Amino acid sequence: MMYSSFLQIALLVTFFLIGALSITAIRHAYAHFRPQDSEGERQHRMPPQPIELPNEVKELLLKSTQAKFHSILNHSAAELEYDLKTTVSKLNNRLDKLSSEIINDEMKRYRMDLDKLREQTEDNINTAQTEISEHQIELKEKINEKRIELEAELTKEMEAEKQVLVQRIDSKLSDAVASFLIETLGHNVDLGSQNAYLTAMLEEHKDEIIKGVTDET
Amino acid sequence: MKLKLPVSVGSSQDLTALIIEVREYSRWFAHESIKRQVDAKNASPSPVLSAGTLELLRDWKATQQITAQSLDELIQLLEDFAKNPHTMTITLAAAPNSTLKTSLVNWCRENIAPSVLVSFKINSNLLGGMVVQYGSHVFDWSFKRKILENRKNFAEVLRRV
Repeated sequence: MMYSSFLQIALLVTFFLIGALSITAIRHAYAHFRPQDSEGERQHRMPPQPIELPNEVKELLLKSTQAKFHSILNHSAAELEYDLKTTVSKLNNRLDKLSSEIINDEMKRYRMDLDKLREQTEDNINTAQTEISEHQIELKEKINEKRIELEAELTKEMEAEKQVLVQRIDSKLSDAVASFLIETLGHNVDLGSQNAYLTAMLEEHKDEIIKGVTDET
Repeated sequence: MKLKLPVSVGSSQDLTALIIEVREYSRWFAHESIKRQVDAKNASPSPVLSAGTLELLRDWKATQQITAQSLDELIQLLEDFAKNPHTMTITLAAAPNSTLKTSLVNWCRENIAPSVLVSFKINSNLLGGMVVQYGSHVFDWSFKRKILENRKNFAEVLRRV
């Protein structure tokens, strides 16, 4: 019950407000589409009446105005200068900070790039060193194999050369010894059977033997 | 009488063996002579003699009759000769065979003295040739000596070869 009466009151207030608003809207619309000059506007539109001031007042007003203008101008200039200085300082700080940040960022990026490059270079160097080491080992093995092979060949060749030289020396020496013996012992020597040689030698030295025997007896 | 030794008796050892054999033969001959005088029938066989002894006895028999007395003379002659023999020493590089020995002894007896004794020595260091020694005389005709004498020529021979 109470609820319905409260609702009725609310409805009544609402209707009242709507009515007031409608009237206001109509008035505004009318004023908008049929404008009427007010009393102030009418007075304003009237042509200005010239005021005659004395020259001293005019001079005084002019000086006063100039002084105020100068003062305002100076004040404005000072304020502008102050503002400019502050702005410049702030801008400088800002620029410093910005440049520092940029430089730091760039440096950080540069360091990162450098680190990356260094790591990459180290990796490359390590890889290259590993490859070089492997290559060196391979080369050493090949050189060693080649050395062994060459040594074997050299030994073989030296042995063959040695044999040839030994045979040559043996042959030469045999010839030399034979020639020497033949020259030394005479061409009649027979190293197998010495019967004829000994008899011939006795015949050759017969006189010496006889002389020796004669001397003894 | 002049003694002519067989060729096979070359050295003083051969001569000593020859004297022993001749003595043995002389003893046997004396026994046999006595047996013949008493007409004993059990004749003993002649001792085995070397070719040199047989040759000597043959030569001896050719000059005079073989009797106990002549055999004693022969023995005496051999012993006298053995006391003061003419000995020549031939040193060879290798042991000589009988042919070489005979050849050398023959040559010595034909050219030096008929009853000279030749003894052989071996010295392999000689390499070849021989060294003849008679008394204090030494004749070195060995290969070693000749090679050593001509050793300076070896370098020249080597260069020539």
